[in-house]
Order: sequence, then structure tokens, then C-alpha cells
Amino acid sequence: MTQDPLSAFENNIAPPLKIRVLDFWGRLGGGLPRIPLYTLLAAPLGVFILYAFSQGWFFPAPFPETWTTSAFERVLSDSRTLTSLRDSLMIAAAVSLLSLVIGFPAARALGLRQFRGRQAAWLLLYLPTVVPPLAIGMGLNILFLQIGLAGSLHGIVLAHLVPTLPYVTFTLAGAFARYDEAYEFQAWVLGAGAWRTLFTVTLPMIAPSLAVAALFAFLISWSQYLLTLLIGSGRVITLPVLLFSAASGGNPVTIAVLALVFLAPPALVIVATARHLHGGEIREQY
Amino acid sequence: MTQVNITNLTKRYPNQPAPVLDNFSLFVENGEMVALLGPSGSGKSTLLKLITGIERPDTGDVQFDGVSILNLPPSKRGAVFMFQKSYLFPFLSVEENIGFGLKVKRTPRDEICREVGRMLELIGLPGIEKRKPSQLSGGEQQRVALARALVTHPKLLLLDEPLSSLDTEVRLGLQEAIRNIQQELKIATIFVTHDLGEAMAMSNRMAILLNGRVAALDQPNVLFHRPPCVESARFVGVNLFLSGEAANGWLDSAVGRVKIRDAKKAGRGVFAIRPEHIRLFKEPKENALPGVVQGCLYRGEYMEYQLALGGQTTRARLPLSAGMFAHGEPVFVQLPAENLFEVAG
Repeated sequence: MTQDPLSAFENNIAPPLKIRVLDFWGRLGGGLPRIPLYTLLAAPLGVFILYAFSQGWFFPAPFPETWTTSAFERVLSDSRTLTSLRDSLMIAAAVSLLSLVIGFPAARALGLRQFRGRQAAWLLLYLPTVVPPLAIGMGLNILFLQIGLAGSLHGIVLAHLVPTLPYVTFTLAGAFARYDEAYEFQAWVLGAGAWRTLFTVTLPMIAPSLAVAALFAFLISWSQYLLTLLIGSGRVITLPVLLFSAASGGNPVTIAVLALVFLAPPALVIVATARHLHGGEIREQY
Repeated sequence: MTQVNITNLTKRYPNQPAPVLDNFSLFVENGEMVALLGPSGSGKSTLLKLITGIERPDTGDVQFDGVSILNLPPSKRGAVFMFQKSYLFPFLSVEENIGFGLKVKRTPRDEICREVGRMLELIGLPGIEKRKPSQLSGGEQQRVALARALVTHPKLLLLDEPLSSLDTEVRLGLQEAIRNIQQELKIATIFVTHDLGEAMAMSNRMAILLNGRVAALDQPNVLFHRPPCVESARFVGVNLFLSGEAANGWLDSAVGRVKIRDAKKAGRGVFAIRPEHIRLFKEPKENALPGVVQGCLYRGEYMEYQLALGGQTTRARLPLSAGMFAHGEPVFVQLPAENLFEVAG
């Protein structure tokens, strides 16, 4: 029986051994550098955990001898921690919501429409990401002092919008660039008004991107130190501000506990939005 | 039951020299299906946008039962459309998609449920209420999109090439389904397509849209056999035009002298013939002009010959029983007088 080369090729489904071996080493080689990388990233976290749950960990003991949650209890029962945690959460939530509300129309226009001055609009939106935050913060501080917003939560929320808006707008504009308005036309002709269409069609269609944009805004606002310090004038103490003052105070246990408290909410938010972080930024369209 | 009267609709986009729609008028009778046939860019889709209110016309009026709808928002007009893509909301189930139009009108839940069930029966897909659009085939998606449009009892149904992305078999099935449902519910319908066969099979009347205006409007069989002008004739498949001086029942054209039926016709005129009425012979015949076979295509139901006739090239469709003609063979092209008809130049 003669075998033509094509069917021989088709029948031989498993790749030749040589390629498989190469593949194995290739993968291992790709994976190896990650181990020190991950260790490097996780090490501080491990040190924090060791400090936060230990009592009397002194040189030269390699690990703490007694474990306790008393440090956590102490820091978490401190009213300053709770106030700063509450303020940070409120500010980050308000900033996320506001930047979605403000960024949405801009993103829609930039993603869906071609108009004169579109490039200039992009550039203007980019600017806050390249201008040093110190310059923005100083300017805003002078302005807010004059109009009475300095030292208030409102003022800080407004100041945080400066770095969050570009990211929110870019994320949503990317979604709208691949969005088909005809879904909205369908809703209109079926009897839905403009608001109803926004809430029952447009927002669900781009929901994955909204989640990602909200995550960005939350994280940027949550870790904002400089703007909070400048605008808050020391009257509003958010968690990063508290953490910085603790860090200069020098008690490693307090620093470790505060750092872990600081890490928890963003970690929860990332877990909640993780399934939207890769893949399509808008829903599949039919 | 609605009569739709579109009068003198004009729409011009900025930065475009010619208007997309130019004094467009069309009347759609109660329960009638009008097919709108035209090349791309002829203004078909723009017309649908103007009727539904997604865009505003520069001038002209659209009336439903004698009342202008131009000042109503799209949600209050009662004109629904269906596109080439189904545009089913991907985050809603089939049931919720079909019920969308009823839900926004605050219809009670059990009534929505009943209507959705009735619609699924009508489109021939009972029992798929809970599925998501992603679990449906292309044809099923279009059926659901049709159900979603019809459940609101629209005054006017606008179909924008709803079948052009489907396989032939699915398309033929859906053509029939849409036609039956439309007649059962007696909804005035405008059907936009570029497929001549589809337009003829589905519509009561057919309009040919060229350069933003109606070039021809008539029943499909009339338009197919006697298109009124050269452009519309080309659109229904005619490609032989003889222009010349007519006198005493004869036409003197550049291609040759042929007999015509209208003995009273005198002066310049353009005459045309459908490709399936052209006959070929190896020997001279009455009303036959000498030509050469330039190409030959086997089309299954018929043979298609490309012919050089005078200075023109044209196509003839011959039944398979008419014998075979070889490439390069000189032939006599018979243009029967009863099949020659006059068109406006």
C-alpha cells in the first residue's frame, strides 16, 4: 500500500519526540525566572505577616517564638485606624463612582465618534498622567484654600479625580471603540427611552469594562498619598497617610499590621473583578 | 393596520456632494410588503434610520395613517427594525429579549410570558425561552429578533437585509417564514435587500432605489418583465439595449435592423430584451442579428452565453435543450419582436 505524504502527515497527530522535549525545556526555562520574581514580590508580605502575628521576635531567632493576634486587636481597636479606614473607603468608593459618571460620556464620544479636535481631547485627558502630581497638588491646594475645599473629604475626592479620570476614560473608550450603537437603536424602536436604554442596554453591554475602570479608580484613589496629604492639610487622615506616619514612627509590628489592613480591600476588589481583567472588555455581540 | 406615506424625503450628510435621499416618496398600503432594491450607497439604510427616528430628514414627511411621526421620539413611533445582525441583547435570555418591548411598556408579567410563548410558536422555535443568544444558530437568532420586533405589535416593520448573512437553505426557510408571519399579522413592511430573487419572492410591490430616489415601483412580475428605464432594467438583469430610430414597426439601431411590435412608434427610442428571451441559431432567422459566442457558462438550470453583437457584449440565457454553441462560434442572435420593449433612456 502506498501512502501519500499528506495522509501520513494527518495520521501522525503526536508531534515528534524532539519537539516535545524542546517544548518541556522551553517551558521550564520560561518558568524558572518567575520563581525569584514571585519570591521577591511575596517576601515583604511574608515579613509583614510574621511581624503582625508575632510577639517578641528578636535576633537571632529565625522565626518568632510566640504567635498572637494582640497587635491586630490593638491597631484595629484604635479609633484613628478605624476613622482612616472608613475615610479611605468612602473616598475611594466616591472617586470610583464619580470617575465612572464623568468618564463615561467622554469615553463614549472618544470611542464612537470622529470629530474635529478629537486628538486634542485625547492629549488633554492624558496630561494628568504625565504632569508631576506635586505640581497638580500644590496648585489645587491653593485653589481649594480659596474656595474652602481644603481639608475636607469633598476636596480630596475632587483631587483624586485628577489621576483616576484618564485611566477610567481610556478603559471605557477602548470598550466603546468596539461597541455597536445599533443595540441602542434596537432598544429605542422597541419603546425604551434614553435613560431606560442606558441602564438596560448600554451599561450591561460594557459592564466588564465598567468593572475594570472602577477597579483602576479604586486602586489609584486608595493608594493616593501625596494629593491626600496636600489637600487634606493634615485634617483628613486616610490609611496611606496613617501608614506613612507609622512608618516614620518605627514600630515594625504596627507598620506590619497597618500594611496588611491597607492591602485587604484592594485585594478583595481585585478578586471580585478578576474574571473581567482579561479577555473581552465588552460583552460578545450577536 | 397602518398606511405609511413617505413624501419628498431628502437627507444630505455634511461633506457629501449629493444627497443620500433625494425627494424620496413611497406609499405602503395596509399589510403590504414593499421590497426596496438598490445597490449599496443608494440610501436604503438611511431611509430606515429616518423612518425610525434615529436620524432626522432635511425635508419631507413620514405619516402613519395620515399623522406625521417626525416629531415623535423613536420609542413612540411604532416602527421596528431588524438587521442583518440580530442584535439580540447578549446578557438577556431569549425570553427576556422577546419580552423587552413589552417590559418597557410595563406589561404585566404573566401577559409577557404568554405573548413570548405565542411568538416562539409563531417563529417555530417553541421551548427555547431560557437559552442565551450565544446558544442559538444564526438563523435562530434572526427568528428570535423577528419575534422581538413583532411582539410589540408595530405599525411598520423594517427589514434591513435580515437574511443576507445566512446559508442558502436557512435563508429560503426564513424567507417563507417571514412572508407567512407578515401576512398572518398583516403588518405593513419595508424590506431592504440587494437580492433580486428575494425581493420578488417576498414582496407585493418592489421599488428600485437609485441615487436616492425611486427609479421604478411596481409589482415584481411587471418590474421584472417590463422595467421602465435603462437603470432599473439593468438592476433586474437586462443587459442588451438597442437605441436607434424607429419607424413603421422597425428599429434601426447601431447593432442592426430589427422588427418591433409597436408599428406607431416613430423617432428615437431605446429597446431592451431580457436575456432569457434571446435565442441563438446557427442559420439566419427572422429578426436575428449576426454575433459571436465569446463565452459559455454552465449555470445548472440554464446555459449562459456571452455574445458579441455589433459593438456590444451581452448575455443570453438558454435552456439546456437549446443545443450547444462553442466558444468563438458565429451565431445568429434572434431578438423576438414580442419580447422587445421600450425603456426610457
